[in-house]
Amino acid sequence: MILSLLLSTFLTIFIAELGDKTQLATLTISGTSNRPLAVFIGSSTALVIASLIGALAGGSISNFVPEIILKTMASVTFFIIGIRLVIKSFTSNEVDNRERDIK
Amino acid sequence: MNRNIVNEEKETEKGFSSIFITTFTTIFIAELGDKTQLATLMLSAESGKPFIVFISSSLALISSSLVGVLIGKWLSTKVSPSKFSLFTGLLMVLISFFLTYDILKPYI
Repeated sequence: MILSLLLSTFLTIFIAELGDKTQLATLTISGTSNRPLAVFIGSSTALVIASLIGALAGGSISNFVPEIILKTMASVTFFIIGIRLVIKSFTSNEVDNRERDIK
Repeated sequence: MNRNIVNEEKETEKGFSSIFITTFTTIFIAELGDKTQLATLMLSAESGKPFIVFISSSLALISSSLVGVLIGKWLSTKVSPSKFSLFTGLLMVLISFFLTYDILKPYI
């Protein structure tokens, strides 16, 4: 009984999370930084704490904070990270070109 | 000119704690109120065994973040850094537009 609950929860959450925005954010940060372990530990800790909040009966944070505020925060965060990455891609492209010129 | 380039590259090489904090805040904010957190809440309420649901969903989330880290690392070796930043940056902006649409949908 416990094993089937473990397995069904694992599969539900794992499949729901594949290709989700949190996984895409993890993928992005991992690919743009040179410390995959720090990214893995950071995202795992955040997800475990978020699921602890979710599992505590009736203790979802959306009971205290309106969903619209949570979504706005997420939207603004993703927008800032996205714009910063696009700007970075142009500056690092310049660095690539300059390095090629020097060589 | 050459020295400038070296300095720029040193600045982008951040320490463990700064990357940990950036990742933690981003993922935590993104995950609050997300569908997986709501699923955890539902499963926990339905089964009446919050501890087991917590353990299992934590394991699932850790595995999925490991998959994310590995795919990101693998992609960054296949694509040039500037292209990787451009594509993932545009993806993040797209996600933020979808989230904004989701927020504004009831009012449109």
